[in-house]
Amino acid sequence: MRFMMLMIPGGYETAAPGTVPDDVERVAAMMAYNKALMDAGVLITCDGLHPPSMGARVSFPSGKPVVTDGPFAESKEVLGGYWMIDVASRDEAIAWASRCPATPNEVIEIRQVQEMADYPEDVQAVASGFEDMQTTARRLPEAKSLRRA
Amino acid sequence: MRFMVIVHANKDSEAGVMPSTELLTAMGKFNEEMVKAGVLQAGEGLHPTSKGVRITFTGSEPTVKQGPFDVTRDLIAGFWVLDVASRDEAIAWMKRAPFAAGDEIEIRQVFAAEDFGEALTPELREQEERLRAQAAQK
Repeated sequence: MRFMMLMIPGGYETAAPGTVPDDVERVAAMMAYNKALMDAGVLITCDGLHPPSMGARVSFPSGKPVVTDGPFAESKEVLGGYWMIDVASRDEAIAWASRCPATPNEVIEIRQVQEMADYPEDVQAVASGFEDMQTTARRLPEAKSLRRA
Repeated sequence: MRFMVIVHANKDSEAGVMPSTELLTAMGKFNEEMVKAGVLQAGEGLHPTSKGVRITFTGSEPTVKQGPFDVTRDLIAGFWVLDVASRDEAIAWMKRAPFAAGDEIEIRQVFAAEDFGEALTPELREQEERLRAQAAQK
């Protein structure tokens, strides 16, 4: 089962553009945690996100796209980064998240990723090409870096 | 540059309501265009927060709280990861996404190793690259 561990750092909703993790000890602790996930064979991918003040939102109030630059005043909480893991159960995902060297202002939300088998049959029929697409998409970064090389 | 496009939750996604065949077909076409253009790296949907948990780290031990969570507008229903040349290109792609009236997505740049400066020491950077290479083989 695949789960996303969503890192929600309190206060990141108002972080200035260009804010980056600059605490060497903390970055090292997170890297050690990432390595533990990797060594256990559960880590699929992980990323950190620049603050929302550098981002944009696209909303479709009447069906047509409207672009709004960040920060977003109405946000109570925002995503700071995520891990995607592959584990046997939700309990195992919770156990991994509990080991994270997180600070008191951080919350980790654990959400199961939808697999094709989770969808009703009629939905599966329409979405049948999606898994192939995901496989193709996953190969792209590799293909791109080869082209650059 | 890599961007994460966050699809925000709404009452329907939180209630586990599946999108219509029409919308799924349109999304499938849109995804296919992004794959063909070489910009789509990943895309997933998440089960509603009623099946999720949150872990807080305020005390000496982590505390686990069962979903659902009540900040509906800030919750996440799904995401894409795009590799494009600029934020404008990411925005241009997402303006074409087949969303319904009232839907909202958020576009956020993903950190690259060079963004961390000195906090990511050469040793940590090497470790990071090794991790990514190993994870990519999974």
